[in-house]
Amino acid sequence: MSYYFTILSPTDVPLFNIAFGTSKSGGDGIARFRFPEAAQNTYMTQFIIHSSLDMLEEAQWMGGNMYLKHIDTYPPASSYISAFLTPSGTRFLLLHQPPQPNLPPSSSSGPGGGSMSLSVTSGMGSSGLFGGSGSSSGRASSSSIAANPTSPQTEEAVRQFMTEVYENYVKTVMSPFYRRGMEVKSPVFRGKVSAAGRKWL
Amino acid sequence: MTSPGDAPPVKPPPSFSPGVPRVASKARYPGQRRDSTASLDPDQVEPRTGPSLTPPLSSTTSELPIRSASPYARSVRSSTPQIARSSLGSPIDGRADAALDTRSLIIRSFSPVIGVYASPDTDELVRQKGFKGGFWELIRPFGETIPGKLVVRDSVGSSRGWEDYGARFVNLGESCPASTDPNQGRNSSLAQVETVLERELDSIDSPSNGALHPQDLLSPSTTSPLYKLYLRQLLSIASASPHETFRHPVACVIAISSRNTAPLESLRQLYADTNNGKRKMPDWIHPEYLRYYVLVHDEDHDDISESTKLYDQMKRHFGLHCHLLRLRSNQCVVTDDNSVQVPECEWLSPSERLSNPSEPLVDLDSDGLLYLFESDVMAIKGFIRELVAQSVIPFMENRVAVWNDQVASRRRGISGRLMSMSRKWAGFGSSSRSSLTGSGGGASGNYNMAHGFYHFDHSEAILRKMADYSFMLRDWKLAASTYELLRSDYANDKAWKYHAGAYEMCAVSTLLNPLGTGTKTKLESIDQMFDTACYSYLTRCSDTHSTLRCLTLAVELLRSRGGSAAESAAKWAMRAMDLGLVEPIGQGLFGERISSCYASRTPLHGVRWGGRHRKAGMWSLFAADMWLRLGKPSLAAACLEEAERLYANVLGSDGVFTMPEMQTFAENLRLSVKVGYLEARGLDIREETGSTDPLDNEETSEKLDRRMHRRSLIASPLDTGSLTLTPVQATRDGDNLANDDFERA
Repeated sequence: MSYYFTILSPTDVPLFNIAFGTSKSGGDGIARFRFPEAAQNTYMTQFIIHSSLDMLEEAQWMGGNMYLKHIDTYPPASSYISAFLTPSGTRFLLLHQPPQPNLPPSSSSGPGGGSMSLSVTSGMGSSGLFGGSGSSSGRASSSSIAANPTSPQTEEAVRQFMTEVYENYVKTVMSPFYRRGMEVKSPVFRGKVSAAGRKWL
Repeated sequence: MTSPGDAPPVKPPPSFSPGVPRVASKARYPGQRRDSTASLDPDQVEPRTGPSLTPPLSSTTSELPIRSASPYARSVRSSTPQIARSSLGSPIDGRADAALDTRSLIIRSFSPVIGVYASPDTDELVRQKGFKGGFWELIRPFGETIPGKLVVRDSVGSSRGWEDYGARFVNLGESCPASTDPNQGRNSSLAQVETVLERELDSIDSPSNGALHPQDLLSPSTTSPLYKLYLRQLLSIASASPHETFRHPVACVIAISSRNTAPLESLRQLYADTNNGKRKMPDWIHPEYLRYYVLVHDEDHDDISESTKLYDQMKRHFGLHCHLLRLRSNQCVVTDDNSVQVPECEWLSPSERLSNPSEPLVDLDSDGLLYLFESDVMAIKGFIRELVAQSVIPFMENRVAVWNDQVASRRRGISGRLMSMSRKWAGFGSSSRSSLTGSGGGASGNYNMAHGFYHFDHSEAILRKMADYSFMLRDWKLAASTYELLRSDYANDKAWKYHAGAYEMCAVSTLLNPLGTGTKTKLESIDQMFDTACYSYLTRCSDTHSTLRCLTLAVELLRSRGGSAAESAAKWAMRAMDLGLVEPIGQGLFGERISSCYASRTPLHGVRWGGRHRKAGMWSLFAADMWLRLGKPSLAAACLEEAERLYANVLGSDGVFTMPEMQTFAENLRLSVKVGYLEARGLDIREETGSTDPLDNEETSEKLDRRMHRRSLIASPLDTGSLTLTPVQATRDGDNLANDDFERA
């Protein structure tokens, strides 16, 4: 499971970015996004986040909650996006990409393998990248957060994460040296966010 | 505005009912011939002018709000026949609407297939006229659109006129290929589609060919001609296969000519051939299709009185399904009086498109095109209209009614349900015992496992045929309910390809049915059906072409529904790309398509949110990236422009992304598109890029645009002010145009 967390100002300006991986079930906490091409790693996450703002704008008026749960999916990269709203209109967006599924269809599809070779090979490449630890832990964590990103457990874990980040965010922006709309550069805040990520995700 | 789609079916006035035109049409012919001469011209001009007819931006944007779920929207969207009626004067106007256009394209792709079987002397006669393929090749292009309105009666008894009805002529016997390796054939067929597209793109790029300009491909939010070609190719691949009967002949034209010395014997011989001779259909094709007898009279060499005598004799023998076709046997050239160019076939399968070499190179004098005398064209059109309107459609209606009565109603009734249920339970009981033998629970045993088909007279095959007939007659309600009936049967028999086909067509006919409202639950069930169909096609049968066809149909039909359906259309398109079914050029086209799906979702009325501009813009950018990688900078430029238009709604006035990496990506893309474009035009890159920064260029034009608007707003109440301002505005406008030209050409 790889995560990309962004705080966006009400005018869509990014205030804070962090990418991290899961620390549960033997993960090393380093993000490994899988996109069709390595070159896309730099901008794809931002594109996906940006495009999900469409959904967020719609979801934000549909209910009174601050935590909007899972709002959008980007199927080509199997990325899921959860969102959290602060009262000032700042948006927290978390993109999570579950680890490569263990490719059960490749064996059952049989004759279909030929046609699906494209996707299968790309999967192979990335799971190779994952290394031994990733693929072995995949099976162990099949019931945990990582495996099914839309499950209630995941929603709950993300909610906990968001709430903790929100607490720290409020403390950070109350700093007298912070003006509204400025980028959040505080290393303390960054540390807190990654700690929350380790704790909950 | 009452459209046949929305209003409950009204009993038509007596002059409208289907019986009347059929009786009257014989007498009406002379008048109609004159009519259709006039309509012939626009028909022929249309394919040439069609692509360049990109509606102005204002009209396309004004069309967008229609897609919201207002009742008006549905009536506009769902009424193909009505649009056609309103645009009787100019067929071009009716085709401008993209959603309707693809819908009509899909509907027309499922038109009845009519086999052609001509005696050698007939083929000889036609070959004299320059058609190497014989009689079939001569009449084929004219069957694709039948002039005038055709009235079809549905199962309830209400009739409806269709302007865009067509029939597909195939060479009997060629339609069912001798068991070629299906897997190899299908895979290569997708590759063939790609090759056709590549060829088309190359012909666009080459400056000598003026038929299609890249500008034609940029029409925002309408369907690009290239995508239409792709869709048409995809839908016309299918050859006859057991699991669906769309490509099985509905009728067969048996033709002899007046040169034949023993006409009745040869007719009998031809008939015997189709029944049990060399043109006998395989076991999965229903052999009781309509036979239609045609006598081709040679106007130039033979005596009409002889032919009339023979024709009378034929009528006595064969009843109503006869026709006397009067053709001239001399070849027609351009310089002849009354020469008419033979229209191009719209539904050429990719292999056919690839097999005939690029024709203009063959013969420069006659530019490779065939010509016919106007009288011949009239005669052929009249013949085909009579064939379809008076024989084929009534035959199909009759078959549907009979089968509905005899086979389907038995299944639909309570007893039928009980029977199928008891069969299921019996299956449960027996499956535990007979699981070793492999017969699944509740299998009817009609399915031929070894060869993978149902024999034509089993009820499953007949029901499928009935459903397909009613689909081709555009009675989607009956079709959908019949497909629904069949789904469980096929699943019980583990006839996976049939199963997939039933699910696919059930979803498609539900979507085509204009009365079905797009409620959320319904959409979900449709999604489910497409999902099952895809799974069965791809994983169980590994039929990539059918999978892709199914997904594309899902995309197009859901998109034309608008609203939240457009979003799930985008999801299906992504699915198709994900499954690796789409070749590179197709990927670009699908990217554009996803973008347009999202773009068709407009913001809610009065508020800023609810649209999908960011997603649409993102996919446009990705499509531009894909085109660039394929070496098609002109297409990439079009996508880029579209992306800028879409992002303009959500980005700040400066049009800059707030996220740094996105901005760099967009800038790099813009630059490389520009460089690639200029390189392709053979211009000096350094000089050009040195003099004008593409970024500045874009932004200034954007700003100019806005200022223009404001000025016109401010100026409008003050007449004098506007007068003084107009020259400025005009020059600005000119500037803008120049800029655009510079960007594109």
